[in-house]
Parts: sequence; C-alpha cells; structure tokens
Amino acid sequence: MSAVADSRKKVLEAVNMATGAATGAGTAGSATRNAAATAGKAAEVPAEIPRGYVRRGDMTASARHERFVERLREYDAEVVECEPEGLAAAIAAQLAASGRRTFVAPEGLPAAWLAPGFDWKIDGNLEVRDVEQAEGVVTACFCGVADSGTIVLHHGPAEGRRVITLLPDWHLCIVRASQVVETLPEYFDRCAIRDQRSETRDQGAEKLPALVTWISGPSATADIEMTRIKGVHGPRFLNVILVRD
Amino acid sequence: MSAATDHPVLDPALAPPFPMAALPVLRNVQLRKNVAHAIDVIQTKRARLVEEKTDWHALRTAAAAIKDETLANLGAYLEQFEERCTAAGGHVHWAADAAEARRIILELLREEGADEVIKIKTMTSAEIQLNPFLEAAGVRAYETDLAEIILQLGHGEPSHIVVPALHVNRSQVRDIFARTMGLKDLTDDPKALTAAARNYLRQKFLDVPTAISGANFLVAETGGVVVVESEGNGRMCLTLPKTLITLAGIEKVVPRFADLEVMLQLLARSATGERMNPYTSLWTGVTKGDGPQNFHVVLLDNGRSSILARKTERQTLRCIRCAACMNTCPVYRQTGGHAYGSVYPGPIGAILTPQLEQLRHAQSLPFASSLCGACYEVCPVKINIPEILIDLRARVTDQERHTVGKFFDPMYVGLRAANVIFSRAWLFHFAQWAGRIGAKLVTRRDGWIHSLPSVGAKWTQTRDLRGLPKQTFHAWWAERKAASQQVGGSASQRVGDAASDPTLSPKSGEKGGATSREAR
Amino acid sequence: MRASLFITCYNDTLFPETGRAVVSLLERLGVEVEFRAGQTCCGQMHANTGFRGEAFSQAKRLVRLYADADAVVIPSSSCVAMMRDQYPGLFEELGNDSLRKDFAALLPRVYELSEFLIDKLGVEDVGAYFPHRVTYHASCHGLRALHLGDRPFRLLAKVRGLELAPLANLDRCCGFGGTFSVKNGDVSSAMLTVKLEDVLATGAEFCTALDNSCLMHLGGAMHREYAPMKTIHMAQILASTQEHPAEVVG
Repeated sequence: MSAVADSRKKVLEAVNMATGAATGAGTAGSATRNAAATAGKAAEVPAEIPRGYVRRGDMTASARHERFVERLREYDAEVVECEPEGLAAAIAAQLAASGRRTFVAPEGLPAAWLAPGFDWKIDGNLEVRDVEQAEGVVTACFCGVADSGTIVLHHGPAEGRRVITLLPDWHLCIVRASQVVETLPEYFDRCAIRDQRSETRDQGAEKLPALVTWISGPSATADIEMTRIKGVHGPRFLNVILVRD
Repeated sequence: MSAATDHPVLDPALAPPFPMAALPVLRNVQLRKNVAHAIDVIQTKRARLVEEKTDWHALRTAAAAIKDETLANLGAYLEQFEERCTAAGGHVHWAADAAEARRIILELLREEGADEVIKIKTMTSAEIQLNPFLEAAGVRAYETDLAEIILQLGHGEPSHIVVPALHVNRSQVRDIFARTMGLKDLTDDPKALTAAARNYLRQKFLDVPTAISGANFLVAETGGVVVVESEGNGRMCLTLPKTLITLAGIEKVVPRFADLEVMLQLLARSATGERMNPYTSLWTGVTKGDGPQNFHVVLLDNGRSSILARKTERQTLRCIRCAACMNTCPVYRQTGGHAYGSVYPGPIGAILTPQLEQLRHAQSLPFASSLCGACYEVCPVKINIPEILIDLRARVTDQERHTVGKFFDPMYVGLRAANVIFSRAWLFHFAQWAGRIGAKLVTRRDGWIHSLPSVGAKWTQTRDLRGLPKQTFHAWWAERKAASQQVGGSASQRVGDAASDPTLSPKSGEKGGATSREAR
Repeated sequence: MRASLFITCYNDTLFPETGRAVVSLLERLGVEVEFRAGQTCCGQMHANTGFRGEAFSQAKRLVRLYADADAVVIPSSSCVAMMRDQYPGLFEELGNDSLRKDFAALLPRVYELSEFLIDKLGVEDVGAYFPHRVTYHASCHGLRALHLGDRPFRLLAKVRGLELAPLANLDRCCGFGGTFSVKNGDVSSAMLTVKLEDVLATGAEFCTALDNSCLMHLGGAMHREYAPMKTIHMAQILASTQEHPAEVVG
C-alpha cells in the first residue's frame, strides 16, 4: 500500500525537517531496523530531565496506610482492614454485607478467598453476557498508591481480564499493606522490578506491564453543572480490604 | 442554548472573527453564569490540590523538559512507538492531514463492515470533523461521554476540552434527554439524568463491535497507549469491542513508561481538580484473550509539524489538554468556548488553532487575549502562552498589513502614525499638542470625553476618558527646570511640591487629605 | 543617588500628575531626579499589536537614550515588563551586537517604582499621609511579569491614615489589555463590569494601582457610571503628605 508508505514518509520527513534530525524514514519494511537505530539514538540523547519532584515518600508504613485508607474513603470507596489470618472471614463479611450473590473471580484468585455460600463464576474466558449478569467481582491488585488513593491492576492471574472489573456493579479489591506505596513514582519503580504479565511479552530488556488500569474511586461524572455523580459506567461500588501484612 | 448561540460554528475556516462571535455570547446571561460556575468549581478544587502538592513546580519543570525532549526527537520517538506497538500486535497508520485521517478511519471501518461505532471523547476527532464525515458515509458514530451525548443529542457544539457541555445547565439537559430518549417524566436531577445516560448506552457498549478513541499519551518505550477518564465509558470502549481505532496527534508521545509518573500527577489535578481521575487505562498492542484483538493507531500531523519547526511556538505541542488555561482565563470566563470558533477554545485554542490552520484562518484568535498571563501560571507544562500570542500577532500582522483591506484600516494607520510620532521627541510633543486641540472638541464641561470616533468609539461605548491635561509632564518639568535656574537654585533644591510649585496651576494647599482638581 | 525618570508616553500625555508625584516623592527621599527630554515610548503598544519592527525601533531609541543612566525609574509595570520580557527577543532578532550589549548593561538598572523604593532605596515608609479608604488593584504585569509580590502592600501599610480594603479576586485581569480594550471592546467591557463589581464592593474611596493603564480603564467606567469612587496612581498616594496632600485629578 504505497499510499500508506507515502503518508508515513511525508509525516516523518516534515517532523524530521522541523527538528533538524537526519531523515531516517525508509520504507515501511525497514521500520523495525530504522526504529531500532533511531530508538537507540533517542535513548543516547542525554535527557537532562530535571527530576526534582518527590520520588520517594517519607511516611512511615502506618501513616502511609492511614493515608491510603483516608484517600480511598474520600472517593467514597468502602474500606475495612484486617490481619492476614482474618482475610477469608473479612471477605465473607464484605460479600454478605453487599446483599449480592453472584460474583466473578479471576482464575488465579486464591481458593481461600472464594467464600462459601455464594455463586462464583471463575473467569476462564467467560462470556461477556455472564460477566454482565454477575453482581460483583473480587480481585487482588498489583499496587496501591496512598497519595491519590489509587489501586493499580496489572491484570495478572489474580486480578483478571479487564472486563471483569468493568461490568459488575460492585468490586471488592484485596490490597496487602506491603503493596501500598506512598507516591506514584514509587509505583513506577516497582514496575521496573517485577511485573506479572511481562512473561507473556517478547520485548527488550524492559519488563513493563502491557495492561494497566489505575482506579481512583468509582466512576463519576461532573459534566452536568459540575455536580459530582457517582457511578456512570463501571462499578458504582468499590470496596477495599487492606490486609495488614 | 439560546437562539443566538444555537448553532455556533466551530470550523475555523467558517467561524466569524472572535470579537463578532463573542457578542451574542456576552448577551447570554445564562451561558455566562453556567461557565463561571463550572470553572469556579474546578479552579477552587485545583487551587487546593496545588497548594497541597509541595513538589508541584518541580513536576511542571520535569513535564516541560520531558515534552521538550520528546519534541526535539519526535521522529525517533514516533518510530520507536510504531515499532513497539507493531511488535505487540497493533497496526500503526500515519495521516498527514485531517482528510487522510478520515479516509484511513473510514477504510478501517469498511474493512470491518461497520455501520456503527462507539466513541470515547476525543477532541482530535472533532478537530478532523470525523463524525459528520462518517455519517455522510453511512456510519453512525455514537458518543459515549456524558457531555458528548448531551451535545450529540442536543445538536450542540463543545465549548471546553475537558467539560465540553459546561455551558449547558441541568434543565437544558433534561429537555434534550426527555425529547431524544423518550423519557417524558425525566426530572432535572443530575442523578436521574446520569442514570438515563447509563441505561441509554449500556446495550450499545455490549453490542457495537467497533470503537474509536483518542489518546492522552503514547509511550514510545513500550508502544503503550494511555486514556484518562472519569466515567468508565472509556474502559467500555477499550475492552468490549473487537476492533479499536485510536486517533492521536503526533505530539502525544512520551519517551518512557516512567515518564507517566510526572504526567499523571499533573493532569487530573489541572483538569478536574482531583489527585487522580477515577480510571486511567494503558494497553499495548493486542493482548490475547483481553480486549480488542484488532487494534489500529492513526498518528495525525495536520499542521503539528509546522508548529514543531518554530522556535517560539514549538512549546505549543507540550499541551496535555488539561484545560487549566481556559479555566483561569478571564476572557474565556466571559465568552465561553464557542466564541473561539474552534474545538480548541481558550488560551490554548488561541495559539493552537491558528497554527494548525497555518495562519490561513482564525487570525483573530491571537488577539482574543488581554495578555494577563494567568494561563502561563497554571499550565502544567509551562507553555508561555502570552509569548506565543504576541509572536502570532506579529506573524498575522506581517501577513496582512500590506493588503489593501488592512493598509487603510484605522488601527493600522494609527499605529504606523504613532510609530513615526514616537521616533522624534519634537514630533511626539507636537502630536500631543495637536491631540489636545482635537480633544477640546469632544471634551465636555466636566473635563471628560464621553464619545470618540472610529477606533476610539469602542472605548467610549462603555468608558469615559479623562480630557487631556493642559500641560504634559515633560512641559511641566521643563518649566520647573527653567524656574529653578532663574531662581539660581540647584537641581537638588526641593521645588517639586505640588503645593509650593508656582508652575502648577490651581492650588491644592489644604491640609488633611487629598484635594480635588478638575481636569482641564 | 541619581535616578532617571522614564515617564511613559501615556503618563506624559494623560497623567502628568503621576509624574509630578514621582518627582516629589523621590526628591523627598533624597534622590536626585533627572528627566531626559528625548523620551517617547517603550514600544509596548506596537509589540503587543503585532508591529514588531516598529516596536524595535522604539526600543532601540530608548536603550540608546538611557545607555549611561545610573538607574531608570518607571511608574508603569507594563513598560518595565516590556523591557524585561520582550526586549531580549527583539534585540536578539533585530538588533546588532553593540545594541545587545547596551541593552544587557541597561536592563539591571531599570526599576518599576515600587521596586526602586523597596529594593534600591531600601525604604518602605516613605513618610506618606493619605487618610482615606483605599483598595489596591494588582495589574497583571506587576503581578505576573514583574512578580512584585507584597511590595505594594508593604508600601501602603506604612502610609499614615490609610485604610486598606482588600480586593476580592485580586489576581483577575481588569480587561484593559492595551489595544485589546478596543479591538475586543465588548469582551473588555464585560471583564471590566465584573472587575468593577469587586472594586466597588470594597467601599473604598479610591482604587489605586501601579499602572495608570488599568486605572484609566477602571476609572473611565467609574466616571461613566457615577460610581462613588475615584482612581489614583500609587505614586500620588506615596507622595502625599499632611503639608502637601495628593493631587487628585477627576
């Protein structure tokens, strides 16, 4: 499709001329080779980005957890805390209090978390219709960010496909205290270290997540007269159990 | 929406100049109230969070630097993004202009046999006028953002880039929904209205297999794409359909995944006054078993490379579309967005739109500012908007000053004359003298001018102007100097008092307070 | 201490009393004031309306005129901002090495009035007496371009008899904006109306500022609407003493 290659060439030529870069826009076929070369070049450019912002927080663990809970509650998420031994019971209590029966769980969710007495749909590629009909979903998470009350999902085995935390109206998320960081940059540091999904990707040295959902409270809109309304699409109810591990 | 503002024209090629477009809006009290209310809410929330964020300015500095680095190496980063996205199973397309982008998207939709598509709000698609184009080609595009639904169903136009329907109040929304969704008993309670939208869209999300999105960020390092939202309609469109087409301006690239740590801390605080918006999604190419298996990115130039080429203007492309500038703009506060005749209004629109149009259109926008600088103060990526406005004014003026239309325009004639006058002190003094004579004709007995001709009429429409004083400062100084030399005193003698100075007319020697002297 | 007064084109023509007050004030503080008769305009109006070449020719003239001045004092924030923010670009693009050198040497010696008083003379109490209720309007150039900060407030705080009424939405533009006030006269007037609401709500007798441009705009509406308030440049307040009260014009 030469028209496609033409546009690519046209845009890259215009861009490179504007920046005074050497025109490296070859044919579409050599994109990989060119990109690797130019990518290497880009990486070499000493990016003197002044990073004077706060990278690491200085809160104690307990202050950090308190902040996390406080921020979650500001966004109307319901938060309870428990000890590791009490987790299964806490989950059961949350499920019972919700008044709901049918819950989706990702395949990798620990069996001990599947409280008896409820209708569990394990997501091994469920039909969207079935996910849609479930009343709630229970997942783990990758990380929690205290500063903004954010829960981060990398959609690994214990967090599940993106659709299961989207369609049901009620989401219970289990966050271990050791997963909670204070600042957003600290979350990014954790990404570089380890990642649950990176095994399935064949990329270069970086093992960064392919799928991420940052959740900072239930869905909301302020489009009508700036009045904040909870729950447009996506779960209207976000419940969190913070495990003091 | 009143009659005067029912059909605002947001095509820069067709929109009336800003002063003309603003006039009906200024007379729309309801709209001005809506706008002021909305931006006050966001501004207050934003200000509180900025105060709390002790490293706010360090973040801005880093963000500006990240964007500048990206722009300086844009070709390389675009190619890197393309390579990574493609390796992850995505398809990357390039569009030099709006027409190409529309064509590419339509072709992709035709390949899918799509006659319907669900959309996440993207101003970029409004920029290329995608929806009417698709409609004409037989593809119905359903907006899924609450604000965009309000506008689509009400046949309105966006007036803000983050809260596009902020000019619409709840009863207006109620009327639109009641009429188009057939909900006769719908109240104007925002909760009820939101629920109506939720129900209206639910089936669409589950049924329509093709979606179009924009992108807040494109991550070169990984090929990842980021969408920032509040309602969840984004997540719906990004995960449920089979095919996803993402349209993104080429300036949306950031070099590294970790650079998001800066951008994401700035965006929500600036845009909606929240520490973080409810949902931010990142996906990379195609992931088996999760989300659309057919993914396309359309990279759009449409004038951006011409902005990139200019030293002063390149920083325009740092923009992360947070709208903090228009929330703080005292001009936008009075006019709302439609007066700008573009999908990008406010301060960013005033610099972006004319440049995307390569100064062929929207030439009045760089002048739609009092240069107060509030926008620059709040911009999370430190775009020096006033500096760019001034530069664009120079470029527009250079373009038009020799045209017949402008050569004899009173303002142009006046400014050329003023320049000559300022070039010599004696010419300046002569002009002041002549001005004083002329002003006498229009100065009333109270010493003020209530009516001026030509360009001046715009002043005296709402303001009086003090009559020209009989003596200029420089003349007073010269007299004083002459008097002191006569008296034989040195320059350091205290003869400068208003009261004791014989060269000053009427007296003002009363004690205890200011004295009034009418202008002569 | 010597200071050369750049009165500005519009003050010379429309607000000579401000200039008189600056002279009176500085001489009272022991400053020897000089006035270069060749001065006209800094070029701001032209620069902001897109007439860059013309703006440069005025800038060039100004720099040459003051090349050997000890200090240049300007009772107008916007003109100082013009020199600090726009002159560098103009001289870079349109000037030559010699002019750029002269400009670079001059710039550190240019002061807005409140900067001269506080930073150069080191005084806050200038011995002023002005027994009136006053509100202060922060012009945008002074606020954001010059970062005057609390200088005006520190000066006003020391004026005997003066009662300062704080202005709501202090950082909101009054809508003057130079030629914007006529090129976009309707919007300018809408901004003015909104600003005037806040100004009049202070119940002050006077609205003061460090720029007569804003005051001309605000005062023009006050007069048109028979508002119970007048405008006065801060120089005139600071020059006002019990023996020689301020000139209030209009």
